[in-house]
Amino acid sequence: MKHDRRAFLKASSAAALVGTAGCNQAPEALWPLTGLPERPPADFTPPSAESIDLVSHVINRLTFGPTPRLRSSILRLAKREGEAVDQFIEQQLAPEKIDDSRAEHRVRIFETLASDPIGEFYEFQPGLLREELTRATLMRAVYSERQLLEVMVRFWSDHFNIDISKGECKWLKPADDRDVIRPHAMGNFADLLTASAKSQAMLTYLDGRENRVRDKSDKPNENYARELLELHTLGVDGGYSQRDVMEIARCLSGWRIGRGLLQNGTVQFEPGLHDSGSKTVLGQSIPARRGMEGRKDFTDVLSIVSTHPSTASHIATKLCRRFIDDAPPAPAIEKVAAKFIATDGSIPDTLRALFSLDAFRKQRGNKFKQPMHLIASALRATEAETDAGRPLIQYLTRTGHMPFEYPSPDGYPDVAEAWQSTLLWRWNFAARLGRGRIAGTRYDRDRLAKRGGGLAKLAAHFLGRKPSEEELATIEESDNPIGLLLASPGFQWS
Amino acid sequence: MELAGMSQTKAYLHGNGDMKKTLVVVFLRGGADGLALVPAVGDDGYHRLRPRIAVSEKEAIKLDDRFGLNPLMSALSPAVKEGALTTVHCAGSEAATHSHFEAQDLVEHGGNSGGGWLGRFLRFRERTSAGALSAVALGRTVPESLRGAPSATAMDSINDFAFTGSDHFVRSLQLLYRDQAGVFGARANDTFRAMDRLRKLHSKDYTPANNTQYGSDRFSTELRLAAQLIKAGLGTEAITIDLGGWDSHISQGPSIRSNITRLANGLAAFRRDMGAEMKNTTVVVMSEFGRRVTENSVLGTDHGRGGVMFVLGEDGAGGRVIADWRELTQENLISPGDLPVTTDYRDVLSPILRQHAPDADMAKVFPDHSEKAV
Repeated sequence: MKHDRRAFLKASSAAALVGTAGCNQAPEALWPLTGLPERPPADFTPPSAESIDLVSHVINRLTFGPTPRLRSSILRLAKREGEAVDQFIEQQLAPEKIDDSRAEHRVRIFETLASDPIGEFYEFQPGLLREELTRATLMRAVYSERQLLEVMVRFWSDHFNIDISKGECKWLKPADDRDVIRPHAMGNFADLLTASAKSQAMLTYLDGRENRVRDKSDKPNENYARELLELHTLGVDGGYSQRDVMEIARCLSGWRIGRGLLQNGTVQFEPGLHDSGSKTVLGQSIPARRGMEGRKDFTDVLSIVSTHPSTASHIATKLCRRFIDDAPPAPAIEKVAAKFIATDGSIPDTLRALFSLDAFRKQRGNKFKQPMHLIASALRATEAETDAGRPLIQYLTRTGHMPFEYPSPDGYPDVAEAWQSTLLWRWNFAARLGRGRIAGTRYDRDRLAKRGGGLAKLAAHFLGRKPSEEELATIEESDNPIGLLLASPGFQWS
Repeated sequence: MELAGMSQTKAYLHGNGDMKKTLVVVFLRGGADGLALVPAVGDDGYHRLRPRIAVSEKEAIKLDDRFGLNPLMSALSPAVKEGALTTVHCAGSEAATHSHFEAQDLVEHGGNSGGGWLGRFLRFRERTSAGALSAVALGRTVPESLRGAPSATAMDSINDFAFTGSDHFVRSLQLLYRDQAGVFGARANDTFRAMDRLRKLHSKDYTPANNTQYGSDRFSTELRLAAQLIKAGLGTEAITIDLGGWDSHISQGPSIRSNITRLANGLAAFRRDMGAEMKNTTVVVMSEFGRRVTENSVLGTDHGRGGVMFVLGEDGAGGRVIADWRELTQENLISPGDLPVTTDYRDVLSPILRQHAPDADMAKVFPDHSEKAV
């Protein structure tokens, strides 16, 4: 059999269109070229407790929601449920060890995102870049096996928010996502912070590249310095002064994005634009430095702020708000902050500590899903095939949750209150998906029903617990039971 | 069940849309020629620099001693007489690039910021939060001005703005949500009410009031839809409409003639249809820049700076021409021969936005802009 490139492309795009049916004969080794093979049906073991059980809870929090196969695959990891959960957490804490070629295969079609060096992004229409980045983000949330990584990528994307619509960020944010957020989302906080501080997109978004001090009359641009302290590290009540903001701005002056063929958008230090005098940052003095030596101010500042105790509690508070509750308990925050300090900002170690807390394990079903979480979880629960095209993405615009479009540096809010006015579009989305009426997105209703073995079990799969009698009666009566489940109160929370 | 959330319901209520004001933003894409829309017929320089394409003083619809409306805009004469139309001349932004793309981006973002000014206006509020139907972009895509909105719906037809579940589905939802307490339950109730109004909106054909006849062009159709949405009381606070085709480099007269008529006729019909509801409605017309003062060799005009903005509101609220005008001589123009920008578009928008939503955080809507009273 002769396979030229065009035939492969044709086969793979046809497969993407019709879903996976018909490709199940393709040998596993060939599927990256021929489309995705049908996976063998896994055993389906929906939860059976009255309230959300531990496995479902951990799925809710560490992932974008259960798929029909996920729960049983976790339970298979160990004999006892607790051990199985711990193993699953360990797996998710080490995403680099998880094979994710299926999801990567899906996002490979977004060719603009592979642009390298960074100047190459400028060859594309900003609208196309934004669209591909958004679609890839949603695809990964739905299909990646590295689910906790994807959850953390969203978390850090909000923490280090960059609005893609500001100035050159429209070309630079895709690189920030690929080269800054993703490689470090499950790494070390100081590394992530450093990468972000030198990100072309961040230097643009918070005006770091405009922070120049040529002579005594030049006032440094404080925008980045302020957000670095207020949002990225110490937090607004973290104990810094306006003077610290100004001193950090002086320290970070002189970093710019190189132009021209040879420089290709690399970030460079230019001594002539740097304030070479001595400074004091959060009580620590930084000596006057001449010429290229001035670069060391950057390292000093990032080291001072990333190891500051307020940074540990600020990050811990936000992690606990993400994973535990909108108003997380103080003892939990303290423990997580202590681990953050003890491990020099290791993100997996800090998360492991968080996931072992009673506060984490016991508060269930109390986080209101952000719109993207709702959409991704609906597609995962129904094992839908999606191209993440405009008919689906529009629900993110309607619910005000387009990734990379939050219009101020603090990122999308992570509390229920901010999202509860979006029910109309959530229900609309659910009703349409339930009936298979979202173009480019569909699921196999018959297969889902067959796998579920009855609505009661299917409902338990969606809700992470047995449905109440009333819920079940209402759903059984419906002509769109899947849509109703997706729109139901229980499915809005995780 | 006396919960904090219940007492807030009023402020959040989608169904309470009739309490809200609506801003309709018409964006003239392509750089609309301010001097074609509002010719300075009383300025000798205007006739000198545009010897072949100028509007004569006699033809123009008089606004004041210097300015008139293009005669093609006669449909707006009643609005002028009744003091409903305010004109701002030499309005514009800091964008000096003369590039459509960059200037539109800058104006729609409200400066060198992330997100659109309308989006931020809807998102950053002290007390209220915008509902699910708060922003509508008429057309296929959401414009840059609405980026970052808490909700924005691109709407091609009224069918894009509907709840697609069956009545049975809604009844089932009501059962499932019956016992939900607190803010969540209150929001669910708001949503059921909004759905009621949506259903009413779809239940019968729309008949414009006061025997209004809208044109059959796209712009008029969209304004008709805007009127329909506003009257349905869905809590729609912002509606954006694009009217393209203003890039009149060649043969300006014929090329934008129909556009000028369309603009005026559409706005006049909308005003008539809205009637007393104009009290809670403001229409702002803006563009990314105006055009060169001197006509070019092919009877067109090239990209310029200062242009025109219109504000259409309640009777008696407007009627004047706001312009810090300098006689049209070469030395009063800015390089390479443009009208200067003497009124920043944000200074026109800010008082309107404050009036529409007093709790909007204006420092976030227009960051880095220090307001100057107009």
